[in-house]
Amino acid sequence: MKIAVCVKHAVDEAELKIDPAGNPLLAGAAGKMSTFDKNAVEEGLRLKAAHQGAVVVFTVGGAESKKTLKEALAMGADRGVMVVSDPTALDALRTATMLAAAMKKSGPFDVVICSEGASDTYTGEVPPMVGELLGVPYVGYARKIAVEGKTARIERSLEDSVESVEAPVPFATSVVSEINEPRYPTLIQIMQASKKPIEELSGEELAPAGSRTWVEVLSMSSQPTARKHVMIDGSPDEAAAKLLDALSKEGVLK
Amino acid sequence: MSIFTPEHRKLIQMFHPAKHQEYSDVLSSLSSFMDKEILPVSPKLDSGEESIVLPRKALFTQGMGLVPFPSEYGGLGLPFSVYAMAVELLGTADASMALSVEIHNAVAEGVLRFGSESQRARHLGPMISGRKLASFALTEPASGSDAGNMATTAEKRAGEYVINGSKMFITNAGEADLYLVFAKTSKGPSCFLLESPNPGLKFGAELKKLGMRGSKTHEVIFSDCRVPEENLVGEEGKGADYAKEILHGARIVVAALNVGIAQLAYGKALAYARQRRAFGRAIADFQLIREKVADTKIGINAGRLLYLYASKIKESGGDYSSEASQAKVYATEMSLKACDDAIQIHGGYGYTTDDIHRHWRDARLLTIGEGTSEVLRMLISRRELARAA
Repeated sequence: MKIAVCVKHAVDEAELKIDPAGNPLLAGAAGKMSTFDKNAVEEGLRLKAAHQGAVVVFTVGGAESKKTLKEALAMGADRGVMVVSDPTALDALRTATMLAAAMKKSGPFDVVICSEGASDTYTGEVPPMVGELLGVPYVGYARKIAVEGKTARIERSLEDSVESVEAPVPFATSVVSEINEPRYPTLIQIMQASKKPIEELSGEELAPAGSRTWVEVLSMSSQPTARKHVMIDGSPDEAAAKLLDALSKEGVLK
Repeated sequence: MSIFTPEHRKLIQMFHPAKHQEYSDVLSSLSSFMDKEILPVSPKLDSGEESIVLPRKALFTQGMGLVPFPSEYGGLGLPFSVYAMAVELLGTADASMALSVEIHNAVAEGVLRFGSESQRARHLGPMISGRKLASFALTEPASGSDAGNMATTAEKRAGEYVINGSKMFITNAGEADLYLVFAKTSKGPSCFLLESPNPGLKFGAELKKLGMRGSKTHEVIFSDCRVPEENLVGEEGKGADYAKEILHGARIVVAALNVGIAQLAYGKALAYARQRRAFGRAIADFQLIREKVADTKIGINAGRLLYLYASKIKESGGDYSSEASQAKVYATEMSLKACDDAIQIHGGYGYTTDDIHRHWRDARLLTIGEGTSEVLRMLISRRELARAA
């Protein structure tokens, strides 16, 4: 089974600083593999363990993105494909176009796995676009994937229900974090990862001539959150009643 | 915030410009594991609700024991300074785990440096991968750094040594598969590898400690404990020299461990000082609190640079005995003060909250263990006077 996994070198939200005006300081911000992409890599590795084959990891971005590819290789992926492109001149469609073109070049693949969304921008747009551009069925928000022969059985985690569907192989999917527990690469695997091949492709050459970005980010700001600091007084019985009332009104207790 | 901070990354870049990315990847990966798997259980290791055994095993599986050892034995062959920084990170995640691992690795270094090829082939791989846990048995009820005065004896009889006596305050005792035991033969202090179980190897009750409660500490008792002749490490009569050499390296690592403890206590104190209010403002706005913040930060950075400096001398093959001791004396005393200040900044909550005062209790051991500050100041001054002569 040939498995493609898409990963993103995302902004490390834990290290992100916000300026006094509430703007995230993205220039020079630390990066890391997008949190949910680890689930995508893990699922790829599990499918490989069950069906043999190879896991190829794809990313689009600048030089820093190689760190994320190396992390995926350390987890156990066989090789990486880095589509080099200015990360500030990408939108979802352009990213998906480059990923799909790179996969056509290295493929064909039986399964294409993305995560439900990037941990920094979380638009969730790239996975279905990749499926569409590759011309394969797309099944989003997978929490369980089982492949038997030419059929995949997938459980989709929806907002208030779980949907079981079948898809023919090849297919593309996005996974949710509950699908698995990503492994930690051991130090030996990290050292060995530097010896695994990473192919570099030019994003500009992969994207069709004349293609462009369609979405322009005008601004990005943090959403301020505030605590209410409600003080409750009275006797223990009165305070308990008031607390219950307040929690019910907030929707915490139903 | 990860345990492996941008400051650590910057230092690795300065100390290892050619390979900083590779070393940072290793430390960053270890840190991710420690953040998620060790740090959260640390309070439970202190309270005794959870055992150190499984998380320590998982840590070894990640490769913590492999870092400084040569690839021919399955190690990663990374510089000692990278290993020392890994122990600093572990000291932040859980001090008693760091102590247990540091002592285990010190024994492995002893086997690597002074053991025979067959001893290395037999024990080193299983040790550094964590399949065999090791313990360092030098201190006795009536002797510590004055190893020459040890009372434990090893008598040579027909192809084996018979060890009698006891060792005190031994970390990993009772759990270890392998003990590096120091005992006097007719030629003086000598060093032996003792495999457990052994009918002559017994343990006293677990010692109740002020801190470092996650790690096990027992008296180790040898009663006609027989070890094969081939388990003698190096040459008879040279055990005290080997112990000294092993401890020089271990002192660098203990310094790193204490920087790790201080880092965690400092982080908690800083966060509390920013949110705790008094007289209408955050206590971090008061000068006397700011003095503690500044002094602790200076101490952590200085301690870190001292252990990295000593590590670099060790890596280059120079005499690092004084620098290792300087790093240990400074970092352990600094860490104790940092943890004390963290309690002070937390006020009554610091005195009554396990998760604050445990750092002071942990730090308190290491101005004593592996060479007291007093003995090490003697060593440093003796070495510096000799260098000046």
